Amino acid sequence: MEAAPNTDALDQQFKEFIQALKKAVGTGIPHLKDDPKVVDQAIADCKEILDVVMEGNVKEWIS
Amino acid sequence: MFTEKVDLKDFEKQDPEYQDLLRRVLSIQADCEIGGPNLYVKDILPNAPTKLDQLIVARTAAEEMDHYRKIAKLAGDIGVDVSFVLSRPNKDRYVEAFRGEIKTWEDFAVFGFLIDRVGRFQLEEFIGCTYLPLARVVEDPDMIREEEGHIDFGVNASAEWAAKGGETKERIQKAVNYWYVKGLDMFGNSKSYRSERYMYWGLKRRTNAEARALYKEEIDGLLKKMDLEIPDPNKGRLYT
Repeated sequence: MEAAPNTDALDQQFKEFIQALKKAVGTGIPHLKDDPKVVDQAIADCKEILDVVMEGNVKEWIS
Repeated sequence: MFTEKVDLKDFEKQDPEYQDLLRRVLSIQADCEIGGPNLYVKDILPNAPTKLDQLIVARTAAEEMDHYRKIAKLAGDIGVDVSFVLSRPNKDRYVEAFRGEIKTWEDFAVFGFLIDRVGRFQLEEFIGCTYLPLARVVEDPDMIREEEGHIDFGVNASAEWAAKGGETKERIQKAVNYWYVKGLDMFGNSKSYRSERYMYWGLKRRTNAEARALYKEEIDGLLKKMDLEIPDPNKGRLYT
């Protein structure tokens, strides 16, 4: 069975997006009460990653 | 009734109907998994009530992205490229519930409560299914556990708002009225021929009508506990 083009590349790219997003969330949550700057940066990082994913420009990601 | 277990290496040897149904269900599932974040990330991530809520929205999106990734890999391995759904406008989504935008926190809460619950029902359909790579993905504890986390968050947030009464409760009721019928419709037509064929090939466990009835029983019980009205299940429905 021949896989669809870019199956593995897309899978790898998504793993990286997800890992980065979870890392940002994990950085922000422990500091909700003591460090608003860290939390704000974590939220900004999440937004930046999600903006790229929601745009869905697959060709650009895996070129 | 087809009861064999099929692995990737044997996929091409299967009946064309089996192949078509599997391609179809994986394409729809991938579209739905990424369809959720596309509904709420844009407006809810920046506007969630608290910073914790903002981070929960991001985590929820990350988990749905991971579900998309797993389904897209299964689809890709059998030759189906579902990357196009990543840039598809919401209005073109396979399932009607994913064709709009979520702009309010109460809609986000009720979406988790009602629509992610349909997602859990759909994933449960594949437990023990004849296509082993799909069965393995949904039987791994992560996927359904994460979906349950989204549902619990939605239930708790909806219940909390309902308990406040007054205008806050009215807003949750309005969101319930909107999503309730969309959730019921997500199970498809009760007289669907395709639904029977999915069962014949061991790709799903229940008919659309059976799954919908179980879902309705579950959500009606929760709505009663929240002292919210159960909307008319026939009003505005696309499929019965």
